[in-house]
Amino acid sequence: MGQIVLEKVSKSFGETQVIPPLDLTIEDGEFAVFVGPSGCGKSTLLRLIAGLEDTTSGTVSIDGENVTEVSPSKRGLAMVFQTYALYPHMTVRKNIAFPMRMAGLSEEEQDRRIMAAAESLNLVDYLDRKPGQLSGGQRQRVAIGRAIVRNPSAFLFDEPLSNLDAALRVGMRIEISEMHARMKTTMIYVTHDQVEAMTMADKIVVLQSGVIEQVGSPLELYSAPRNLFVAGFIGSPKMNLIDGEEAAKHGAKTIGIRPEHIDVVEDGGIWMGTIGVAERLGSDTFFHVNGTGLAETLTVRALGDVALRHGDTIHLNPRADEIHRFDAQGLRVS
Amino acid sequence: MTNRSLPRLLQSPAVILLLIWMLIPLGMTLYFSFIRYVLNSLRRPEWTQPSLSNWRGFGNYEFVLNNKDFLFAIQNSLFIVCSILFLTVMLGVMIAVLINKAFPGRGIVRVLLISPFFVMPAVNAVLWINMILDPVLGLQGLAVAGINTLIDGLQTAPIVGSFFSLWPEIEPISFRATQTSAYAVIIMVTWQWTPFAVLIFMTSLQSEDQQQKEAATLDGAGPWSQFRFLTLPHLARPIAIVVMIQAIFHLSLYAEIEIVSRGNGNKNLPYLIGEFANNNIGAASATGIFAVILANIVAIFLLRMIGKTLME
Ligand SMILES: Nc1ncnc2c1ncn2[C@@H]1O[C@H](COP(=O)(O)OP(=O)(O)O)[C@@H](O)[C@H]1O
Ligand SMILES: [Mg+2]
Repeated sequence: MGQIVLEKVSKSFGETQVIPPLDLTIEDGEFAVFVGPSGCGKSTLLRLIAGLEDTTSGTVSIDGENVTEVSPSKRGLAMVFQTYALYPHMTVRKNIAFPMRMAGLSEEEQDRRIMAAAESLNLVDYLDRKPGQLSGGQRQRVAIGRAIVRNPSAFLFDEPLSNLDAALRVGMRIEISEMHARMKTTMIYVTHDQVEAMTMADKIVVLQSGVIEQVGSPLELYSAPRNLFVAGFIGSPKMNLIDGEEAAKHGAKTIGIRPEHIDVVEDGGIWMGTIGVAERLGSDTFFHVNGTGLAETLTVRALGDVALRHGDTIHLNPRADEIHRFDAQGLRVS
Repeated sequence: MTNRSLPRLLQSPAVILLLIWMLIPLGMTLYFSFIRYVLNSLRRPEWTQPSLSNWRGFGNYEFVLNNKDFLFAIQNSLFIVCSILFLTVMLGVMIAVLINKAFPGRGIVRVLLISPFFVMPAVNAVLWINMILDPVLGLQGLAVAGINTLIDGLQTAPIVGSFFSLWPEIEPISFRATQTSAYAVIIMVTWQWTPFAVLIFMTSLQSEDQQQKEAATLDGAGPWSQFRFLTLPHLARPIAIVVMIQAIFHLSLYAEIEIVSRGNGNKNLPYLIGEFANNNIGAASATGIFAVILANIVAIFLLRMIGKTLME
């Protein structure tokens, strides 16, 4: 079990309000990702749920029970920190055992759970090492192990992969996703990386300056961003945003179109420009197109390798049904 | 010249200087400890010059070992040093943890806490033994006299009088006496050196990882468990440093012992060396060698103990 409900929760540090009152429900077993630029209040929101920060107003409930005044250790949540927060003088075994030791579990039960966690996290050979003798990925696994053995009702991750190198990050991302599929426990995962958010989440919560901009499944956010901020934040490369005359033709203040929704044609396209940078990934090629008169640059995806080079003229056809329209307030017009 | 010998060569002046610095005094002490060497002797004037022809072998060591004060001085050295270490580390950790939390006026409190460390040892001893611990004129005498007057008054009061008339008059403690002079030294040195421990521990506490504490909070560790399992191990190294430095300093206490009781009931090895050195340099040197050995044993023993208990 692990349904988490925030009602009118707000947080101020002194005079500055970091999180204006917000409502949010995370269902039992869901993988929710909080995503947003640095400093937007993701960690603060997570810490409010964990109980490491007191709410300025509003209530936090877990499984229908109001836990706003309940101490962090009694909320039954486990947290994994960006800096791992392992206990440096204890061995891996003792680190993982620590929450169980605090809970007064029997030695046999502790050993049983340590072994189960170590096996599922590939840590069996490292149990007697100290954290200082482990690689970043292994340390993160120990931190996850320490969370697992508590059988929490929900896992909270605060940018757990930010300190790892790119290759390891992809691997750990998949491991955490698999862990969720296997355990079916509620997980809340904080990241500033929208790729992590898109690949892992059941539900994405996009935050900006403490305000929830949109909540939805990855594909909902991708196909129907509620406003300009979400439109620009979700998707890689970014959606092209076009103001002015072209937008007015579609009856909007701003229109947006994703790079993959602009087709490259031989000639006779609606738009044209000259190619600046061409990024060839093998499967796709991304062209940065200048001089279209629409925006500074347009990013366009072509499938495979296209025989166009820097400085060539390119003809483009946007798919009319994939154009997103936004009004003067930046809100989506449907 | 190979790659490796150049750095060695460049390091050598420092190493050689250090060796000379250490080896010459140690060598001279060793040399004097094996010869007969006194400052004054009418009967044997040849002993007043250090010379190999006055070779005495282990005679000085035997002489020191058979001295009635020697064993007592070693025991007393250990007692004083260990008591001071125990008290300063305990108080130091407690105070450092307390003032690590933010509170109004913390800056001033910190400065005040450090100030005893800037008092000279001899001044410290004079202050304590005369103004604080003196049984008549010191704070102790005044406090005891005050309490006695209060009880006197209460004995004649109605109702509670019969209860207080059972109380004896409190005697002030004389800290210059044979039995208590060591305690006086322990008290005044602890007062002076606790700030040193606080300073070192405070610095170390500021580098403690806050996320570890938050993780421990979520793991169900209360304030005591966090202190025991996170803060104390984190402090293990600074505690070892404080213990080492203080052990070395306090094994050579002298001024306090001299001022409190002139060694009455309270000798340590340096004080014994001082007494021998009034005339018998050979015996004083032999005692010095014993002191070096003792210091090494104490250092090794203490470090082992700290390593074991704090690091689990
Ligand atoms: N303890 C604190 N005191 C004052 N301001 C804080 C504190 N913690 C966070 N903030 C502020 O709250 C905002 C959100 O921080 P945070 O939740 O850490 O952002 P994120 O995790 O999204 O990068 C930031 O502007 C930060 O400066
Ligand atoms: Mg953060």
